[in-house]
Amino acid sequence: MADVVLKNVRKSFGRAHVIHGVDLAIGDGEFIVFVGPSGCGKSTLLRLIAGLEDITSGDLFIGGERVNDLAPAKRGIAMVFQSYALYPHMNVYDNMAFGLEMAKSSKAEIDAKVRAAARMLQIETLLDRKPRQLSGGQRQRVAIGRAIVRDPKVFLFDEPLSNLDAALRVQTRIEIAKLHTDTRATMIYVTHDQVEAMTLADRIVVLNAGRIEQVGTPLDLYHRPANLFVAGFIGSPQMNFIPCTVAEAGQDGIEARLPDGGTVTVPVSSEGVRAGAAVTLGIRPDHVRLSGQGTLTGRIELVEELGENHLLYVNVGRERHLTVREPGDARHEVGQEVGLSLDGGFCHLFRETGEALPLLKPAGFPTSRPSAASTSIA
Amino acid sequence: MKVLTRIGFWLLVAAIGLFSIFPFYYAVISSLRSGADLFSVAYLPERLDFSNYVAVFERQPFGTNIVNSVIVAASVVALSLALGITAAYAFGRIRFRGRSLLLMTILAVSMFPQVAVLSGMFELIRSFGLYNTLPGLILANLMLTLPFTVWVLTTFMRELPKEIEEAAFVDGATPWIVVRRIFLPLMMPAAVTTGLLAFIVAWNEFLFALTFTLTNERRTVPPAIALMSGSTAYELPWGTIMAASVIVTLPIIALVLVFQRKIVAGLTAGAVKG
Repeated sequence: MADVVLKNVRKSFGRAHVIHGVDLAIGDGEFIVFVGPSGCGKSTLLRLIAGLEDITSGDLFIGGERVNDLAPAKRGIAMVFQSYALYPHMNVYDNMAFGLEMAKSSKAEIDAKVRAAARMLQIETLLDRKPRQLSGGQRQRVAIGRAIVRDPKVFLFDEPLSNLDAALRVQTRIEIAKLHTDTRATMIYVTHDQVEAMTLADRIVVLNAGRIEQVGTPLDLYHRPANLFVAGFIGSPQMNFIPCTVAEAGQDGIEARLPDGGTVTVPVSSEGVRAGAAVTLGIRPDHVRLSGQGTLTGRIELVEELGENHLLYVNVGRERHLTVREPGDARHEVGQEVGLSLDGGFCHLFRETGEALPLLKPAGFPTSRPSAASTSIA
Repeated sequence: MKVLTRIGFWLLVAAIGLFSIFPFYYAVISSLRSGADLFSVAYLPERLDFSNYVAVFERQPFGTNIVNSVIVAASVVALSLALGITAAYAFGRIRFRGRSLLLMTILAVSMFPQVAVLSGMFELIRSFGLYNTLPGLILANLMLTLPFTVWVLTTFMRELPKEIEEAAFVDGATPWIVVRRIFLPLMMPAAVTTGLLAFIVAWNEFLFALTFTLTNERRTVPPAIALMSGSTAYELPWGTIMAASVIVTLPIIALVLVFQRKIVAGLTAGAVKG
């Protein structure tokens, strides 16, 4: 069991700077998920922690010990690769035993550990098989088993589920969560999949272009994104963004003027914001309401039925679109004019620099949808 | 039409087969004939006369020559593979300055005709005190086999997924263990193929073997066959030469047949996704 601390960690490949000074403290037993778009440096960061890449500058501590110059095997970590990376010429048993063999464990000890891990992952019957005789899900289990037997202080997962089909992905995700509850080991998990990030993480680290954008619990990031990038990255479909100007900055919030003239009062701190400043208003598709006398009007351009809910893509003029998520089946058709109301209590405001204005309500964001009573069909 | 295409296809197969097998077949036939028979053209053996095969071993130390050839070829294969695989690891996996220049140099070495390097190589061998010894021949033959061994194995090494190596490092393996326990088994098909080619090159090598040996006891098979003499200076012992040729071709055929089964394609299947 160990904590992982990164202090101003940088990485460059020749002249290309990939990681720009990352500071991060990961607690003992925490489940941390790195998310970000491709090329944001999340896998590189994981490989730096694993020791597969050298840190250009900065310090990395695992369990209080500076490990910058330690070989991967000496860091007390185990890694599960996206492609499983099983040794193709060894059977499942030997694959799992290899690390212990390298650590010069006794035959009896190796046998006990391998069999215990195999039992835990329900791959006992597969021990004699070669990797090529296994299905994708089974290979992933073996890869996880290979990590478990080493009894690491820190588990590193590099997009472990991206090669599995949807059903298996959900199942394996649950098993990884269970593994975390069982072992209480520190886990660092890289993914580009939001659902994996939201469901697995104690805390999510959102990375963009080699920098940390925000660190927080999944709901924290969802309800209180620190900037435009995080707001746009977390949540699917994406949050709607509308460029606005500040009509009035007051004690109870900011009155933002929409491009078409309507205003919305958003309860955010108005410190340092003057009337006339350009801001971006953000609202999630779930929080936009259809109404007769809305703040905005637009024409439906596309309807997507998802079963439990449906998505409407509404053109609100000037080539701008808003996404609206409504429960149940669609009651509208493409081409229909609808009114949209934006409830200020569900909106976010971002400065021109992208930074979010702090929400005034300290107790947390409303978790329920805007009351259904106010919803009417236009 | 379909029938014609089939007939054409099989005629082509027969032509290719005849072209590749006939020389060896004729050698076998000739080796079973003796005396004046040898100088008449015949395509079928009239009687089985093994006297040539006996004569091969009686008139010269042909047994020793075969042993020499085996020692030289086997050592060349072992050394080429050992050096080739370790070099391939360096070229395929480790980034260092001048890597491609070095690879190109290795390739360039194999472009020189053997004759061009012969005199230089002779000086080299003599200054090492290896003239008329088997180690001298082994060293000289390595110059022929190493370039392609290194190139083929490097290409193959690059194809192996990097993650397997990284997984081994995380598991605590040293580079040497990675090469020996992970890459060597995975590269078996490539190693067998290049090893076989190296064996054939060393087994058939003539010019170096002729130049760098002096006495009959140190010769390998190819110069030994070339220098076979008959009972008089004016007689070319065709029968014996053919018998010797057949004898030394057999190990190669046997090797190919044995190792063909070991060249298991797709050994890496199952390592990564797919």
